[in-house]
Amino acid sequence: MDLRISALRIDYGADQPGLAGVDLDIAAGERVAIIGPSGAGKTSLLRCLGTALRPSSGNIEIGRVQPWQISRAALRSLRSRIGTVHQAPPLPPRQRVVTATLAGRLGCWPAWKSLLSLLVPQDIAGARTALERVDLQDKLFERCDQLSGGQLQRVGIARVLYQAPALILADEPVSALDPSLADHTLAVLCDDARNRGATLIASLHAVELALARFPRIVGVRDGRIAFDKPASAVSEDDLKSLYASERVTPGEPGATHVVTPRVSATGLPCC
Amino acid sequence: MLLNRDMRDPALTQRLLLSMLALMLAWPIGHVAGVNPAALVEPANLRVVSSFVAGFWPLAHDSFFLGLLGDAVLQTLAIATVGTLLALLIAIPLAIGSTAALSVTAIGPSPSGLWRPALRQVLRALTLLLRGVPELVWALLFVRVFGLGPSAAVLALALTYGGMLAKVFGEILDSADRRPAKAILAAGGSRLDALMYGLLPVAAAELLSYTVYRWECALRAAVVMGLVGAGGLGQLMDQSMKAFNGGEIASILTAFLLLVLFADALSGLLRRWMANTRKDGRWRALNGWAFGLIAALACLASWRHIGLDLGALFGDRAGSDIARFLREFLPPAHDATLLAKIGSGAVETLATSLVGTALAALVGIALALPAAGRTGAVAKTLTRFVLNLLRAVPELVWATITVLAAGLGPFAGALALALHTGGVLGRLYAEALENAPPAAEAALKLSGAPRALAFLYGALPEVAPQWLAYTLYRWEINIRMAAVMGFVGAGGLGQLLYYELSLFRLDNACSVICAMLALALVVDQVSAILRRKMG
Amino acid sequence: MLTHFRRHALRGLAAFAFASLALPAFAQMKELKVSAIPDEAPTELQRKFAPLGKYLEKEIGMPVSFVPVTDYAGVVEALAAKRIDMAWLGGFTFVQAKLRTGGTAIPLVQRAEDEKFTSRFITADPAIKSFADLKGKTFAFGSPSSTSGHLMPRYFLMQAGLTPEKDFKTVAFSGAHDATVAFVASGRADAGVLNASVWDKLVESGKVDTSKVRVFTTTPAYFDYNWTVRGDLDPAVVKKLRDAFLKLDPTNPEHKEIMALQRATRFVPTKPENYHSIEQAAHAAGLLR
Repeated sequence: MDLRISALRIDYGADQPGLAGVDLDIAAGERVAIIGPSGAGKTSLLRCLGTALRPSSGNIEIGRVQPWQISRAALRSLRSRIGTVHQAPPLPPRQRVVTATLAGRLGCWPAWKSLLSLLVPQDIAGARTALERVDLQDKLFERCDQLSGGQLQRVGIARVLYQAPALILADEPVSALDPSLADHTLAVLCDDARNRGATLIASLHAVELALARFPRIVGVRDGRIAFDKPASAVSEDDLKSLYASERVTPGEPGATHVVTPRVSATGLPCC
Repeated sequence: MLLNRDMRDPALTQRLLLSMLALMLAWPIGHVAGVNPAALVEPANLRVVSSFVAGFWPLAHDSFFLGLLGDAVLQTLAIATVGTLLALLIAIPLAIGSTAALSVTAIGPSPSGLWRPALRQVLRALTLLLRGVPELVWALLFVRVFGLGPSAAVLALALTYGGMLAKVFGEILDSADRRPAKAILAAGGSRLDALMYGLLPVAAAELLSYTVYRWECALRAAVVMGLVGAGGLGQLMDQSMKAFNGGEIASILTAFLLLVLFADALSGLLRRWMANTRKDGRWRALNGWAFGLIAALACLASWRHIGLDLGALFGDRAGSDIARFLREFLPPAHDATLLAKIGSGAVETLATSLVGTALAALVGIALALPAAGRTGAVAKTLTRFVLNLLRAVPELVWATITVLAAGLGPFAGALALALHTGGVLGRLYAEALENAPPAAEAALKLSGAPRALAFLYGALPEVAPQWLAYTLYRWEINIRMAAVMGFVGAGGLGQLLYYELSLFRLDNACSVICAMLALALVVDQVSAILRRKMG
Repeated sequence: MLTHFRRHALRGLAAFAFASLALPAFAQMKELKVSAIPDEAPTELQRKFAPLGKYLEKEIGMPVSFVPVTDYAGVVEALAAKRIDMAWLGGFTFVQAKLRTGGTAIPLVQRAEDEKFTSRFITADPAIKSFADLKGKTFAFGSPSSTSGHLMPRYFLMQAGLTPEKDFKTVAFSGAHDATVAFVASGRADAGVLNASVWDKLVESGKVDTSKVRVFTTTPAYFDYNWTVRGDLDPAVVKKLRDAFLKLDPTNPEHKEIMALQRATRFVPTKPENYHSIEQAAHAAGLLR
């Protein structure tokens, strides 16, 4: 699925930076890493692409359609082709891993199948295959509240693998994993996207992982795109200026503050 | 082969068995409870209900009736007030006697031995017995033992609420800061000193606040007890309902709702006043005195209004009256015909409570979704209003309407339970839903899941344990309500009790009451086990 | 500050407790307390009693008050517990009262009509024409303690070979005669039974739609209602009461109103023996043991 964004703005209000005019074109099947300091607008950008956030102004086209111009049914069908890996996997604690994984296809399953699946999981084999790819096949019938944070994050990835969407959006998909597992899991996501010809856009804090796994790197800073180049072309200087504010005051390594966008319970913006 | 074993859902057998069991039980339970949805849409029944409800307007407002209504409102207020007052008199010694906060033995070795802890256990058992029997059953008995009208309701309230207050007071005293009391006891002060100067100053506000809350509950209970002939608004409502007088019923219901609102506002005001500690000391002192004085005057007026004849209650003849009553009441009868009747009554009552609670859960869910603001602000306000209305009308009053819609029998009782409990559960469900984390459901919607499925997969698992706990808790209440629903023609143990009491077969009545208690205890246990399992 | 407040709250509580303990002593008023089994709506009973109460007040020279009750058994128990002095009882409630007072309750007078009282079986279902058609239907009695609304109809049903609990789909107790009519008219019950006198009154006053609800059978006659006083009442007062009732004369316009409300042509003396057959019927029907 290809993406086309122009002059995209998100205004949260005076004290919270959003997006201050972003232009970005991504072709179908591309794998793009978004990097940048905390609060730069990575999550906002991903939420816009995932139709969770309606931009204040500007144009956004996902797979040649403008998500905010189409009917509800069409939006739902568009959304069923977008899979999101969340930073904190939103899984109900009492749900079983198999059900949580199968929930990835609620958008395309017929209603009877989804309903029956609540009682009798409908595609155990499919769920198992997806979980196998993130090494969780033995947790198939466990409840989510029995899993560690890292395992939960991988269940969230397994759900998206099972969904097999044309566009994968991943917001810090491996932040809760140790480095070797993080690399492996990212490889699984990238392989999946490459094999199916799906578009993959991931925001990452770990720059080395981004450079190693993604052909194209987009640096975001202060709600704007700082650079957009092939991974091989990203220089030390690019990174230095991208993370400049974090180095201005050496005494405070985490001098940035995390910005939580004001959104309503439905995931749609309240303003 | 290995793969096959790995892929079999280990919960599947259990789930299928449970589903089958539920389906298999649903049929006989529905049959016993006389479930007949077709009766609800039968044109004849619809006509009856609509003409009955149409009779609600205009409200009855002739001066004779309004006079009766005014008296009944005052009487209900008086019943609740005097009942709570007597309950306090029962509860205070029980609570003080059973609290461990005044224990001398707890401080260190003392010569007084073991009898005080033993006394505490006896008092706790007495408390349990007092609140174990529903006030409605006490009321029914007292109507017979001590004669007519509000006195019966007052005594019934005094006993049940005495038990409840004693339990909660005991808990408040136990959990209060014990250090001041301990210090006084350790310094050789008497228990009374420890209570007055050590314990009460710490716990007084909470004790008062809970008492006021109970008074509010007593007001509703007083209305319901009137339905079995214990005076007040309920008795008037019973008369009007038997006479099928829609206008009167509507007037009484309006008066009842206003009374409940008034009590709600008053108790809210009092509790706010008690919680507010920032006022000037002198004002506070004045307020304390004023509050005490007003409460005392209210009690005095209520007492006069009811004309509760304590002299007759504890006079020379009362002893022989009660002895005569107990002789007839005990031992409980246990002949085979009676036991068979009790057995089928108990099954019918159980079925009524199950069907009623299940339907209530459905009503609750259907209303909780809009009430939690999922379908817009207008729907939210509207459903909140409907929920309040469903909740405000007592089950026994709903029963008189459902009996028209569904015909006599347990199904009408189950429907009445469903309407009232549906209102209660709807509100609780909606609150749970609003407080649940929204992320899981939002994520599913973002991946294209239809709204209903996103709810089932994302939100339901988050709230299910709470919903289930609420439902089971209401089931415990409903089994008690179903037991008395028979008074309005809804069958079960209640009708049997009414019948036996009417024929003065008190030993039979005693057996029926024992069966009610046993059934309630069994349901409490089952519900507790289920809650532990699901939790 | 907080303890200060609590001390005052405590003081308030003490004032509250003190005032509520200093209760007024109850003045025992010398008066005749009268009640009636609630075979009709209690408001109706109160309305009916008002002129009779005034008349009795004048005749016995003592205030007379009416105690409304919603429950038959409550009246019996109140008489036994001496909370009321005189009551309008049905045949069966009189038997109950007699048994519960150790045989001391005195039946004073009854209406001439009560000597041969009947019950009417009513229905709104065209298919019901006789007792046999009642099988499998829902049926409404009045109060379980009612003579004409429960005991005698049950007795006659059992003589016809019908056991209500077995042969009817649902047995309901409406609680009062006019309530039974409401049950049947509204379709809450397929059929019901009530006191002939109340039925006739409802028909006369047009309170029942006779095109819908009809009588399909009437019971044989039996003794019913009477005015009963408790046995330990001052005999002089008892005599005055009996005389007052017997003196009522329909030709006297003042009395006429009283008697019309009581639906009596005249009052006649009655005696406990009149109710033996009812007691036997109650035993036979299993309502007494």
